[in-house]
Amino acid sequence: MKITTLIIVSLAAYLGAVTSSLAKTPDNTLVVAQSLEDITSLDPAQGFELSSVQSFNNLYQRLVQSNPDDPTQLEPALAESWISSESSLTFTLKKDATFASGNPVRPEDVIFSLTRVVKLNLAPSFILTQLGWNKDNVDSLITKVTENQVKIAWNVNVGPQFVLSLLTAPASSIVDEKTVSLHEKNNDLGHAWLNINSAGSGPFKIKKYVPHQILLMEANQTSPAGSPKMNYVLLKNVPDAATRQLLLEQGDADLVRNLGTDQYFSLQGKPGIKTLNLPYASLYYLMFNADNADNPALGKPEFWQAARYAFDYKGIAEDLMHGQFAVQQSFLPVGFNGALTDQPYSYDPQKAAEILRQAGIENPHFKLAVSNQPPYLDIAQALQASFAKAGIDVELIPGVSSQIATNVKSHQYESTLTAWGPDYFDPHTNASAFAYNPENGSKTLAWRANWHIQDLNKLTLQARSETDAEKRTQIYQQLQREVRQSSPFVVGLQNKKLVALRDDVQGYLQGITPEMVFYKDVSKSE
Amino acid sequence: MTLSIPSTGVIRRFWTRRLQPLMSGFLSFLLTLFGLLVFTFILSRAAPIDPALQLVGDHASEATYQQARHQLGLDQPLPMQFFNYLSQMLQGDLGVSQITQQPVVDDLAMAFPATVELATVAMFFGALIGILLASLAVYKPGSILDHIARMISLLGYSVPVFWLGLLGLLFFYATLHWSAGPGRLDDIYTYTMEYNSGFVLYDAIRTGESEIILNAIGHLWLPVAVLALLSMASITRLLRAVMLEESNKEYVVLAQAKGASRLRILLSHIFPNVLGTLITILALSYTSLLEGAVLTETVFAWPGLGRYLTSALFASDTAAVLGTTLLIGTCFVTLNAIADALTRWVDPRTR
Repeated sequence: MKITTLIIVSLAAYLGAVTSSLAKTPDNTLVVAQSLEDITSLDPAQGFELSSVQSFNNLYQRLVQSNPDDPTQLEPALAESWISSESSLTFTLKKDATFASGNPVRPEDVIFSLTRVVKLNLAPSFILTQLGWNKDNVDSLITKVTENQVKIAWNVNVGPQFVLSLLTAPASSIVDEKTVSLHEKNNDLGHAWLNINSAGSGPFKIKKYVPHQILLMEANQTSPAGSPKMNYVLLKNVPDAATRQLLLEQGDADLVRNLGTDQYFSLQGKPGIKTLNLPYASLYYLMFNADNADNPALGKPEFWQAARYAFDYKGIAEDLMHGQFAVQQSFLPVGFNGALTDQPYSYDPQKAAEILRQAGIENPHFKLAVSNQPPYLDIAQALQASFAKAGIDVELIPGVSSQIATNVKSHQYESTLTAWGPDYFDPHTNASAFAYNPENGSKTLAWRANWHIQDLNKLTLQARSETDAEKRTQIYQQLQREVRQSSPFVVGLQNKKLVALRDDVQGYLQGITPEMVFYKDVSKSE
Repeated sequence: MTLSIPSTGVIRRFWTRRLQPLMSGFLSFLLTLFGLLVFTFILSRAAPIDPALQLVGDHASEATYQQARHQLGLDQPLPMQFFNYLSQMLQGDLGVSQITQQPVVDDLAMAFPATVELATVAMFFGALIGILLASLAVYKPGSILDHIARMISLLGYSVPVFWLGLLGLLFFYATLHWSAGPGRLDDIYTYTMEYNSGFVLYDAIRTGESEIILNAIGHLWLPVAVLALLSMASITRLLRAVMLEESNKEYVVLAQAKGASRLRILLSHIFPNVLGTLITILALSYTSLLEGAVLTETVFAWPGLGRYLTSALFASDTAAVLGTTLLIGTCFVTLNAIADALTRWVDPRTR
């Protein structure tokens, strides 16, 4: 026994000697620990997951980009200027702009980049097909004017401001046609190659990408966006949040993302660590299936009204989630143009019960399908308790999120608690989900709720085509009020993103939409 | 009939003795794999998850969704989908994974070595210590050593592995700094060293730089220790029970009566008799490690098979799930065949 102990102790001491000088992150590299398992593709025509869109602002540029500090302001990026008409925009490209490959940015690149999104018809293509673009007509609508000018036209009734905001979406990233074409296989427009490589003009380029393991980005010193301060950004897949916390504390990561409240609070005040609680545009909402044969009460506006008073907004945002959420009751998140920020509803179980009694709804109950992941399940459990006080019996049905999405999209549910994030920086992205059900096969949120709204449909389309900014805002506010007053949606909470970083990391910028993550100005002092 | 010419007799004997068992073994191997594939395919299709929806996300347009359905072959009848998969598979193509958009073969070539590396080293230490502990326990049943062995194996059996992993990290990585952090290598080496074989330890040794080798060991030993404890626990428990049962048999009592020492009884009487069982126990333990240890891989950010399979299952990524199942199935069958052959070799009673 003594010998064994001796061996173990000496082995441990040896290992201790081996690793006692913990390797800190390299000086020229920003090491980010997060989960990378959601990434399916790093091609802007397909990548639509959180971790993929987060990389696009660093790898690619668009014609125009939102100002990260004030996203309502559009700024030129690869375009120098533009002239708008009723149904087209003509962009003049920035002089001497080049891709990481050294190739100049030409009108052909813009045409190739935007048309391939439509032709490949992958996840984010709906953003651009809203302009009436399809495989057959897109080549005739995006055309070269001169050697440095490109014209983008559309054939639906929308204003240029709306089109500009679509062009800020990650899917509108401009790729290097010459480089991509070299790697084209089976007419895939370079898709297979772009899944794991980059061909952009952003401040970084992909040096090495191993799916579900690492994404290493190297500085592109010639980027028209300006050269970055760090030579490398290494994103590494660390699927467990508690492990991410340890890595940061030990100095083996400079920045960690997607922390839970537990990790966030235990990191607060630790020496050498800064925590950030960043506003984020994702809304958490309760949705009822208004046409459910097993539970017809869910289609009654009185039931929806009662649910609005049975939702313990403040209790969940402040006590349960400790600041990971703020209360927001309208379908536009705070920070979006025209978002209503007043809160007409507060938790009042007696009032909810009274509304139900007057409407003659007896034994109110519903099944709530919810993802078994935090924070969904935690919020759902809190709702179960707060609804119970109003006499509403909630049965939780936890499941894998992919399974719930499948059920909701086939109307096989009574109610669900889930999140909605905007796809581009324009109010239409949420209005077209919550207040639009054209019943033409498009499965908007309103369709999933079985909510039939012909008047609101018209209003949503009217808002989209309105060119007067002030009038447009007014219509969106009217839409928000109507959805808030009577709809099968109870929007309750707006998410915040919890990020923690070493205190020597300067210049990290993250905006309110998922893709607004910028590593360009990050530096490490010391 | 007894006058058949010798040459045909030789061929027939060769056929019945060597070739036939081999052929039937191979046939049953193929049948097992086929059954496994059918079963996995049906299960993955019975899961209430829509793979096309999972691929395009719930914001995408209906046109995109339908295109994805078509590309995944979901618009075809189920038997047809399975037939297509099989015919593709026979050409060595396991399809493209939805979750990584890479060929499943490439994904497996990356994830499997990571798991094999972890499992093999853990198995080595787990078996070594497990056998030692079980022998010590049986050397004097009821003694303090026996109690310690039972306690350690019970601990390894009942403590949740992710908790043990996190605690290990907290203690050995964050507090004592005896272990390097999660992952397979420090970041500096991650992109200066080429992973050729997929086995980090092997690649590190090939570079010949002691710094990299030590770094790889520093990363490896803690997850290995956690998994080794797990396999050690089951090996100790099972082996102890088998050996104790054996100690009560008459031949042991006879040997005792004849005055043989306890050590001699253990080594030359009990041990040879349980060797066959031990091989089976080890094979089972090893295969269960090869399936990938999801929780350990998650905590230690180890990009192995377990995590790959779990992500694939949640996304209903049929190609990835079937490919992984095929690989694990092959390992399982092969290891079992090897264990059987070994048992037959060491234990004349089974011949």
